[in-house]
Formats: sequence, structure tokens, C-alpha cells
Amino acid sequence: MKKSLEKLLNKPLPVDPFKPQRAVITDVEDLAPDHKKFTFAFLDESLAKVWDYIPGQFVMLTVPKAGEIPISICSSPTRKGFFELTVRKVGRKTKVLHRLKPGNVVAVRGPYGNGFPVGIMEGHNVLIIAGGLGMAPLRSLVWYILDRRNRFKEVYLLYGTRNYEFVLYKEELRRLKEREDIKCLFCLDRVETPEDREWADIEGLLTELIPEVKLEPSETYVAVCGPPVAYKFIGKELLKNGYPESQIFVSLERKMECGIGKCGHCQIGYKFACVDGPIFPLWDTKNLPEML
Amino acid sequence: MDFHIERAKVLPKSNLWSFLEGLKNIAPLIAPVKRGNKSVFSEVSDISDVTINYTRTILPPKKFLVPYRRVRFTYSTEDLSFSSNFRAREQIIFGVHSCDLHGISILDSIYLKENPDPRYLEVRKKTVLIGISCMPDDYCFCLSTGTAFPDGANWDLFLTDIGADYFVSIGSPKGDELIIELKELFRDIEREDLELYKRSTRKKKEAFRDKKLPDLERISQLIELEYESPVWDEEARRCLSCGTCTNVCPTCFCYTSVDVPDFEGKTVKRVEFTTSCQYPYYSLVAGGHYFKPTRTARFRHRYYHKLVGYPYQIEKLGCVGCGRCSAECPAKISMVETLIKLRGTDEKESGKAAEQTSTGRSL
Repeated sequence: MKKSLEKLLNKPLPVDPFKPQRAVITDVEDLAPDHKKFTFAFLDESLAKVWDYIPGQFVMLTVPKAGEIPISICSSPTRKGFFELTVRKVGRKTKVLHRLKPGNVVAVRGPYGNGFPVGIMEGHNVLIIAGGLGMAPLRSLVWYILDRRNRFKEVYLLYGTRNYEFVLYKEELRRLKEREDIKCLFCLDRVETPEDREWADIEGLLTELIPEVKLEPSETYVAVCGPPVAYKFIGKELLKNGYPESQIFVSLERKMECGIGKCGHCQIGYKFACVDGPIFPLWDTKNLPEML
Repeated sequence: MDFHIERAKVLPKSNLWSFLEGLKNIAPLIAPVKRGNKSVFSEVSDISDVTINYTRTILPPKKFLVPYRRVRFTYSTEDLSFSSNFRAREQIIFGVHSCDLHGISILDSIYLKENPDPRYLEVRKKTVLIGISCMPDDYCFCLSTGTAFPDGANWDLFLTDIGADYFVSIGSPKGDELIIELKELFRDIEREDLELYKRSTRKKKEAFRDKKLPDLERISQLIELEYESPVWDEEARRCLSCGTCTNVCPTCFCYTSVDVPDFEGKTVKRVEFTTSCQYPYYSLVAGGHYFKPTRTARFRHRYYHKLVGYPYQIEKLGCVGCGRCSAECPAKISMVETLIKLRGTDEKESGKAAEQTSTGRSL
């Protein structure tokens, strides 16, 4: 027998990591067509007080009768007592979830995944690039940074969506834009209505905003989340502008079913998105096959 | 000076049946039995059903550690309270070949290294593994994977055929307890037994002399570099995506979890069942995107995961050379052939892989 194997068996039985905790929906907000933001609070108050996570991590949410889904947390761990999930209605389980109302009870386990390397990011500039629903996990990072603003240098937020209708957290982002301590640049794929015009800094893609960022690349950490197709172009543009590959982090999603590296569904190359990700350095996107 | 070894005993072959009877009286006994012209691991009520000289069972013994279909929880939709009536039982699995023992050690690493699964641990703690030596057939390639002998795996007793007797190695305190309990069946080791035991290693190695074996040196790198090789397409063309290879694999662990409500919608069962990376829906994500849309991508993924993924995750190859995937494949796709094809000219130049491959591969 090997030492490592002997150790594995000589352990007391751990707490069941598959057992979820009950949480009540305290608020539901319509953000955009088919996009809702749910606010939850754990029924167990002592758990609610200590429950902690890192921006970029996700939870496994049990939608009663439908099943479990992995959802990124969109609230910041700096604010305790509740957490928020933004969910797009896209399949069977999310359809059931969208029918739930405040007061309904769900079950949640987690948090899972590695999250953004916020500890390493401290003391540096941070460039946050969100595309579409990718804003959700990055909202967690934005508020984490703003609530601990003195630990970070310059912060930029680039956000691109289809049109104004699909912009998430509209009011919140408007207020962010007025702040001095974070620079926000927004783009829309198509600018047609007056609202679009009022919102967008440019009409076009996120890649066109990257050269507008006035940061010293070697002093900057970049966090990207968006549709996988965008990563290739955003990655290329970032490298072209001098951002070091090792300081660019992207968030990748797969169909996690267990969240703890046991079910195998979320394999990206040799890594598991649930335990080795979902935040990967850009370097990995080159090396892991079928990454994007 | 008297020759004395505590770490092993000798079981005369004439005592084997009494030994099995003794085991059966201690705990439920699982052993290989004949089913048609194949063998399966099954709980035995009559020890005369046990088949000793089998080559491989259809399914590996993992089905007694992680059932292929299992209910994780039952919850009520009214108050969402999750409960489970899971209970692990004591069991003895007898007659496990070296490759399957290594397979179980791989599962141990997967289930217990990070985020340990309490159920697996409980089952594993209550399971006694008794291995037995074997001779290879044409599908076996355990010599390449370094799993032809049980060293480095997690087992309790291991019986090696040394002619008139079995040389019984003791691998754990649990195994030793069994020996003490049934001590009248065993005798002490003599110098001669040890010599025979050592010779049996060579005998098994020699049995591989004329067999086709893949060279697995630097295999992780090779798979990564040959990721775009046309060999994947050629081989996958015959693949039926039936998932047999993963279902019979002793190290495959992927599962799918679904919530199944009862007719009234009052209680819901969370059921987990074995799935396969060869099925299209395996890589389907919300929104309808398939990350592995083609048969080739799925076919290649199995090799990639076994030979690149496992070494990264648990520092061991994910293949133990049991040959089940090749033996059971309805399209006669052979892991050995695919790997030899992938190596291409390199393989031809290196001559017989068997001579080059050392045992006890560690990464």
C-alpha cells in the first residue's frame, strides 16, 4: 500500500457535501427579458451569518421537483446575510425557477469552484470585462473591490450587451458610472433607440473598448466573463495591448452536476471546471482542448 | 536459524473451499461466478458456484462500491428536508485481479482525495478486498500500465498461485484479522514457498512475451501532441457511441443526477446513475451547446481523460490494462491498437514494447 492511499481510508466520515441547506427567496427582480435576479437568505440564521464565498464561485441550487443547477453568485461576500443569483430562463430547470416567488423555499449547497484570485489582485489595477450575462459573476467582483476600494489601484469596468433592453442591473450601473473610483465603459452591439444612445459609449464590440483603457498592463489583472466565442477575440486584443497572459483570468461554464469533481461532466481537457475552475488563466485556454 | 515471515502465509489449495466457507460466515461474500460463458462478480450463497480461474468479469467489482444506480436523497417538496436511508454493509470481495485492485485504488483517490464522499468512504471501510493472481489473455495489457502486480494498491489479502498452494500476502490489519480468525487453514511460509512466489512474477511477465503491448512511456504528452491526429477519426468511424467501454471500465466514475418526483409530487428522489462520455448529451450545456459534438471528439475524450486527465488529477494513469473495453466493444475497437497506431513509427522503431516497459509505473 502507498502512504497516500493508506491516509485516504484512515479518516473519519466527513460531513455529506451533497446535502443542501434550505434558503428562502426574499426578492425577485426582473432585469431584462428572461433574466431575473433572485435574492436568497438561508433559513438557518447562524449559517447565513458566516456563509462566505469568493467572487466567481458558484452554488448548486435545487429547484424543487426540477433538479439541481449550477449558478454563479452575483452578490458580493462583503455584504453578509443574503446572496443573489441572476438566472436566465434557458432550459427546463430555469423555467421552473422563474415561476418561483418571494417566500418560496429552495435548497442550496456550496460555494464551489476557485473564484477569482482576489488575494493576488490586491495592490494592482483591475480591468473587468463583461459580456452579456457574464456581468453576473463579475458584479460580485465589482462590489467586492468597491467595498475594499483602498486595497486596489485603478479599476475599469467594460460591459457589452446586445442592446439597452438586455443590459442587466441598469440603475446600479448608472450609479457606478457616476462614481470617481471606477471607470465604466459600455458598448452595445446595435444602437437604435434613444435609450441605446443614452447608454452606450460606443456602438460595437468589447474588443473596441480595450484600447480605450488607460492602465499600465503589467500592473493590471484582467477578469473576463462572457459568451465563450468572445474569449478568443478579447484574449487576442488584450495580448495585443500588452496585458500579460498570466494576469488574464476567464470564467468558463460547463454542466456541473456535483460541483465537487465527482460527476465528470464539467471536464475541460484535463481539468474540472467545478474544482480547478471555473476561473482559468488565459494560458489554459490555449492548452486545454475544447476549451471554448 | 529458522526462516520466518509474518507478512505472508500459505494456503494449501485443498483448503481454498474451507477458506471461502469461512469468509462467507464472517460477512456476505462476493466472488466471481460463471454466467453463460462469461464471469461476473456476484454475491454467493453456495461457494461451489465460485470460479477461480476466470480471466475477466463483465463488470468490474466497483459495482459493489458505487452502485450503477443509487438514490442519493429523498426530499419532500413541502419543507425541502433531505433524508437518506443509505446504509453500508460489511462485505468481502474475493477473487479480485491485480488490475481491478489498482482500479479500486484509483476510485479511492477520486472519491476520497479532495471533497471526500462519506458514502464511498463508509462502504470502503466496510469492504475487505481479497485479490488473486491471474494469467493474461489476448486483451490484457496490465504489464504496460504497471498494474500486473498488486503492489501499490489498496487491498487486504492477495493470493498468488504457486502450484500446490496459494501464497497469501497480507496487506492490511483487516486482512491479518481474517488470517487469525481462520488460522487453522494456513501454514507458515517456508523458504521454498518464497522462491516459488518470486518465480510466479516472472511467469506472468513471460506470458506477455508474444502479446501486443502499447508503450505508455510519455503517453500524456503523446496524446496532447497527437490531439489532431487522423487516427482518432479513423478509429471513431467504427465507434457506435454505445458507452459499453465506459460502463465496463474499472476506473470510470462519471454520473448524472436527476430529481424524480413521485406521482403526487410530494416526495422527490435524487437519483444518480452512471453515464458515459460517449453519449452526446454528456457535454450538453444550457442553451443547447454541445462541447463534444462529434463522435471523434467523444471517442478521443475517453483516451484523453484516462491518459492525460487522471495523471493530472490523481497522479496515476486512468487505465489499468484490464482489457474490458476492448473485449466488450461491439465494434471491436481496441485500446491497444489505437495507442499503437497513435505512436506510429516510434512504436515500430522501439521494437517490442514489453521489453522496454518496466512494472510499477509511477508518475
